[in-house]
Amino acid sequence: MEFKVPIGPQHPALHEPISLRMTLEGEVIKDADLRLGYNHRGMEKLMEEKTYIQNLYLTERICGICSFSHQTCYTQGVEKLMALEPARRGLFIRTLVCELERVHSHLLWLGVAGQEAGFESFFMYTWRDREVVMDILEIISGNRVHYSMNTFGGVRRDIDELQKKKILDSLDLLKKRTEYYFGIGSTEPSFVGRIAGVGKLSREKAIALCAVGPTLRASGVPMDVRKDDPYAVYSEIPFSVCTADSGDVLGRVVVRVKELLESYKIIEYLLLNMPEGPIKVKSPRKVKDAEVVSRYEAPRGENLHYIKSNGTDKPERLKVRAPTLANYPATIEMLKNGYIADIPLIFAAIDPCICCAERLVELADSRSGERKVLRFSQLRRMATERSANVKTRKKEALWPF
Amino acid sequence: MSIRVAAFLPEMLRHLFKKPATVRYPFEKLTVPKDFRGTIVFHPPKCIGCMICVNDCPAEAIDIIRISETEKKFKMILHNDRCIHCAQCVDSCPTKTYTINTEFETTAFDRHKLKIEYK
Amino acid sequence: MAVLKPILYILVYPGFLFLLIYSTLCEWIDRKLYARMQNRCGPLHTGQSGILQPVADLIKLLAKEDIVPEEADKGMFSALPVFALAIVCTSALYLPLWHYAPALKSFNSFPGDLIVVAYLLSLPTLIFFLAGWHSTNLFSTIGGVRVLTMTFGYEVPLFLALLSPAILADSWRIAEIARFFQGRPLLLLANVIGFFIALIALQAKLERVPFDIPHAETEIVGGPLTEYSGRKLAFFRLLTDIELVVGSGLIAAVFLGGFPGGLFWGLFWFVLKTIFVIFLLAAMRATFSRIRIDQMINLSWRYLAPLGVLQILIVIVLKGMSK
Repeated sequence: MEFKVPIGPQHPALHEPISLRMTLEGEVIKDADLRLGYNHRGMEKLMEEKTYIQNLYLTERICGICSFSHQTCYTQGVEKLMALEPARRGLFIRTLVCELERVHSHLLWLGVAGQEAGFESFFMYTWRDREVVMDILEIISGNRVHYSMNTFGGVRRDIDELQKKKILDSLDLLKKRTEYYFGIGSTEPSFVGRIAGVGKLSREKAIALCAVGPTLRASGVPMDVRKDDPYAVYSEIPFSVCTADSGDVLGRVVVRVKELLESYKIIEYLLLNMPEGPIKVKSPRKVKDAEVVSRYEAPRGENLHYIKSNGTDKPERLKVRAPTLANYPATIEMLKNGYIADIPLIFAAIDPCICCAERLVELADSRSGERKVLRFSQLRRMATERSANVKTRKKEALWPF
Repeated sequence: MSIRVAAFLPEMLRHLFKKPATVRYPFEKLTVPKDFRGTIVFHPPKCIGCMICVNDCPAEAIDIIRISETEKKFKMILHNDRCIHCAQCVDSCPTKTYTINTEFETTAFDRHKLKIEYK
Repeated sequence: MAVLKPILYILVYPGFLFLLIYSTLCEWIDRKLYARMQNRCGPLHTGQSGILQPVADLIKLLAKEDIVPEEADKGMFSALPVFALAIVCTSALYLPLWHYAPALKSFNSFPGDLIVVAYLLSLPTLIFFLAGWHSTNLFSTIGGVRVLTMTFGYEVPLFLALLSPAILADSWRIAEIARFFQGRPLLLLANVIGFFIALIALQAKLERVPFDIPHAETEIVGGPLTEYSGRKLAFFRLLTDIELVVGSGLIAAVFLGGFPGGLFWGLFWFVLKTIFVIFLLAAMRATFSRIRIDQMINLSWRYLAPLGVLQILIVIVLKGMSK
């Protein structure tokens, strides 16, 4: 007997609204229907109305956990448009904050995986140790989330010797705790029983469904933007791409923990080999006519920004393709033939950052209920007509309160 | 990797005797680092009225108003309810008129009361 | 006057009022231990270091709006929490606290009351299933089915474990079993396996991690209790607390030697032994993660039930040797 269970948009397992309608037979999932769009904020339209400098802060607010990845991807793209060579010390500091963000995101993910499985103590411990990383980021950048370190041509703040020493001391503590959590996560029988063999994705299917990030690397495919298409200073740093062979949730835990240990090594290398010099170079305000695609390895996978400029100081078009969007088809494949009890774990294993991925929407007329798919040019024309009379500057806007 | 039952247990029991990691805010406060991005501070004597900060602010939180017809004197109104504490104004200003302090506990029940005027 | 004494027992001590106060205290102890093991504070501000927090939660729930789903059977939906609470409070009357003269049979101490308590404690499980069924919500139905499936797992090991001290003590009356072991404390070691089996089965009966499968928060929202709110939910939460006290009291009476010594010392031993059992349950709750329903059934029939049979074999051999 088949019945449909709605997981979401409101559900304790999900941190953000998304609708997964599962067709169940007993406790086994037969199919899943994915609906997006609950978290759409109109970021891309807003970015066309603001200047490049103002967009620096808007791109980092696309997400809270991977905020630096969006800002760096954007900054790299615009630097290519401006044909600007950033300062070397600035690039090192930029890479350092990238790796620190990867550390904090993976520690957060370990806690969330524990909580979805019901292992609350693991959640509390990993998040307590994540506070160490948040304190380091606060010292370097002035804020725990939304670091705002990037600017065109380099970074905005410098690191002094005292901060370097503090980071190196915290790295020892973090290394010990990460290895301890690895031990717990892979040997605690109640936890391993929940994650081993769950959400299997074979190597061929992973490549065919365009999975990215740890989801792909856990199926044995060693693809990583940091090695395939190096940006910042990754071409100079010795590190290895972490893979696992099992293709299930346990494999993804193993990949992320190995990436944590690699990140500690990269951070140590960066701190010990940082060159002296200026942290930024002067950048122009107006950007000539060009378009660029910028790639970045966010903690969740490959982040893609497409930027088109038209000679003014505002971008013509900015498109964001977040890694979670690329992992959705693979999730639906993994959910088939699983149990209900595995739904939160499979979904959490791709590290969903739903607010990053809300860039596309299906138009449904609310009066007639009809749905249509529009061409992009038609959509732009509709949006421009609707917003022609709206005053967008806050000074002239009508505040409702 | 072998399976060990109750591998977590010794750590748990040890923590029964340790002080909790929670900071009992607001009864206990944590110190923020010296470069923390809190509230913006404006020094009117240094301002030359170029309006770069007004154009660069992502949240349109700055108003620069000329207060004297003859001299170059300006006052600034900061809409602290719109400010996102990014400190771009500190970087953009050519005469280093802005500094940033470590005050972050600025809450009010009415957003219009969060305007700060620097004369 | 003879009628007044049982009424006092039922309503005040060890009846309803005592259970109300003591169960909220036990919930506070459990929450504080669980929090301290996770390096956090636990309840903190209501009352001295949060001791009134469970009471505050109950009062808050009693004051909230009470919603009955449209398609649900109003009578059954509203009556189930009250039934469940009444059943669990009744089963608390059979715990051997001070008011027993050991040789005297009364309304709450007679041969066979061990079976009566075990039966009464298994009724709330059926009531959870009925609550889930009558909620006409998909999540509640799945939760209710899981509750019944779990019962097939832990009931048999629990009964086997409770059986072994009874066989050793030659009696089906809890007061006599407790008195037997008070006289020969070394024989308590013969029941160690049964003690641990009973602890695990009690954790499953109370639906706490690692067995909180029926109301698994991250999977099926609330399980059988999804649609309950306000007063009815307050009754269900009180039910869980009192079940904790009764369950740990039963285990303490049968495996840890009961509560000798009259009014004052009996209460002292009761508090000490039940807090020890609750400490072990809180440690179990903090150390493990939730397991799946099929893994749970696997665990109970592959490990717990054979261990229970082994425990009974040990007890029978011991009895034969002592004769």
